[in-house]
Amino acid sequence: MNPGRQTHSSDLEVRLGPLRLRHPLINASGTMEILELGEAFGPGILTNPPVSAYVPKTVTLEPRVGNPGPRILETASGMINSIGISSEGMKEYCRKRLPRLLSLPCPLIVSIGGFSREEYVSLSSDLGRALKAHFGSEGWGDRVGLELNISCPNVHSGCASIGADPGETQEVVSAVRETWPGLLIAKLTPNVEDIATIGLAAVAGGADALAAVNTYRGMVIDRNTLRPYLGNVIGGVSGPAVKPLALLAVHQLYSAVDVPIIGMGGVSTVQDVLDFIACGARVVAVGSAAFRDPFVAEALAEGLRGALSVRGLHLDEAVGIAHRKVE
Amino acid sequence: MGGGHRPSTVPARSGRRAAWVIGSEVLGSLVRLSLEIPGWDAAGPGQFAMLHPEPSRSFLPRPFSISEQEGEMVAFLVAEVGEATREICRLTPGEQVWVLGPMGRGFDLDQILAGGRRLVVVGGGAGVAPFPLLLASVTAETIEADDGSVSAHAQRLRTAATREVVVLLGFRDAVQAGGGRRVEAAVSELTRRGVTCRMETVAEDGSHGAGRLVTDALASEVAPGDSVVACGPAAMARAVWDVCSAVRDVQAWFSLETFMACGVGSCHGCVVPAADGSILRVCHDGPVFSGRLLYGETGHGALAEPAVPSGSSDERGGSCRAGSGDKGGPRV
Repeated sequence: MNPGRQTHSSDLEVRLGPLRLRHPLINASGTMEILELGEAFGPGILTNPPVSAYVPKTVTLEPRVGNPGPRILETASGMINSIGISSEGMKEYCRKRLPRLLSLPCPLIVSIGGFSREEYVSLSSDLGRALKAHFGSEGWGDRVGLELNISCPNVHSGCASIGADPGETQEVVSAVRETWPGLLIAKLTPNVEDIATIGLAAVAGGADALAAVNTYRGMVIDRNTLRPYLGNVIGGVSGPAVKPLALLAVHQLYSAVDVPIIGMGGVSTVQDVLDFIACGARVVAVGSAAFRDPFVAEALAEGLRGALSVRGLHLDEAVGIAHRKVE
Repeated sequence: MGGGHRPSTVPARSGRRAAWVIGSEVLGSLVRLSLEIPGWDAAGPGQFAMLHPEPSRSFLPRPFSISEQEGEMVAFLVAEVGEATREICRLTPGEQVWVLGPMGRGFDLDQILAGGRRLVVVGGGAGVAPFPLLLASVTAETIEADDGSVSAHAQRLRTAATREVVVLLGFRDAVQAGGGRRVEAAVSELTRRGVTCRMETVAEDGSHGAGRLVTDALASEVAPGDSVVACGPAAMARAVWDVCSAVRDVQAWFSLETFMACGVGSCHGCVVPAADGSILRVCHDGPVFSGRLLYGETGHGALAEPAVPSGSSDERGGSCRAGSGDKGGPRV
């Protein structure tokens, strides 16, 4: 570990189960519509994505329009949203969107959201069938992962209520595990008393990795009417304001489980990325920060390389370093 | 995966451009902010850009209609409605601003002027923002190029009817009416280049137009076969549609304003309902929409409320609805 040691691009490569990521920066689900970005900024973002794996917006079994507006607002050092998962539904998703996403040159992590255990099973089975049809075989394990969104704060049943209960979390994960052979990630809500308990339940159910955290429940008041601003009243808070809270969640999960953790919550600078890695994240996701700069993940990956090099640390050594005593 | 990295000496790509303030001028209750934006791609009328000062106390950029452009000089009309827009209104020459844009689907002049329709422009308050560029585009497309050649597109537009443009601006008071100055300049340029153009300004305080509302002015002006383009507060937009839909064969398009996080369609936060109940992303599917799509066939149908959520709130600088600035659309 000599400071200033030359690091190479491969130094940033990480494994997430069977997926090989060229660097640790991915996006949080629901914060980056890469196909739309291709329309706005040209196809370069599709042929050379800024993220090392792409996570599309959560898809639901049936089509959903999402919550009534207003749906978003800036808050102190961040934002609040109550999109409520708008989705074209799994059938249309597999027919139209999935084939285009599978042509991206990076691994794809499909995010699904259900309102019951059965829906999660249907969603993962549908996806498995679509992948088999697309690839003509089972050989897609190193290309596609599955993220269970059991943590959306903006829908009234399912989702977050499952993710808030260890028993239901374990049941949903294990039910999906029976039908889904590939990488299985559980995305956790921080709106629980002890996130480590939920993380342990997800791992017991067969999750290969944990993503933490989804947004924090909150609300905003309309300054003119003094009534709730969001159409749905409740929203999810994200951005730099939640970073210390999210860091603690990742720190607690790392102490509790042995599977890789995808850390997220207010990441917008290289130091934020390092902080999450230090707390135990092997992969770090950017969310709200990608709204203001769609290429931020790429810039953060470059910055991370430099920051590790300056400290003379290899990425593997940095993961969870906050849990080890200073030598 | 694995290797195949670009060397770190290659600058990171970015969708956003670093720009610099070259001018800031008070126009009534608006600020006309001029930026030098290296690499700027010419915008179509009605398109917008996301602006984020560097540094900024705001986390997210704000959307603003592109008001004027000349090469890499791009101007915006900004209304101060909260902390973020206050920051933008106080920028001084030399300061840096991040810019994402041009974005969105703006006014489609092919469609708006098709068949030689007369163009009626209705701007309310900060909603005047997109119209200097719109009028400049009309100029460019209705007259001959300097070398005397006429494009097929321009040829089609060179009918007597198309050559008349009516501009109706409505303001709250005499001070706010100062925001119409750049529109006035664009109208003068149209006139100079041989397009018959009339402009009327009204203000609710009686300082202009005897206190008439802009929708009253529209009602006495609009005629069968007109194309109307409008931008302003939500209540005005809805009233414009009601006026238009009472006259035979009048088409209308509206530029909307909402709070946006991303401006590209990623966040699904800026949605408005269409008359048929479907959801429109203002940033990606608009910001310009036809009245029929937003309000339905009659103008008295489907939607209980206009497309833009009322009750601006926004907290920290809201800006969402930054008057015109923010993307120039209806605001309450």
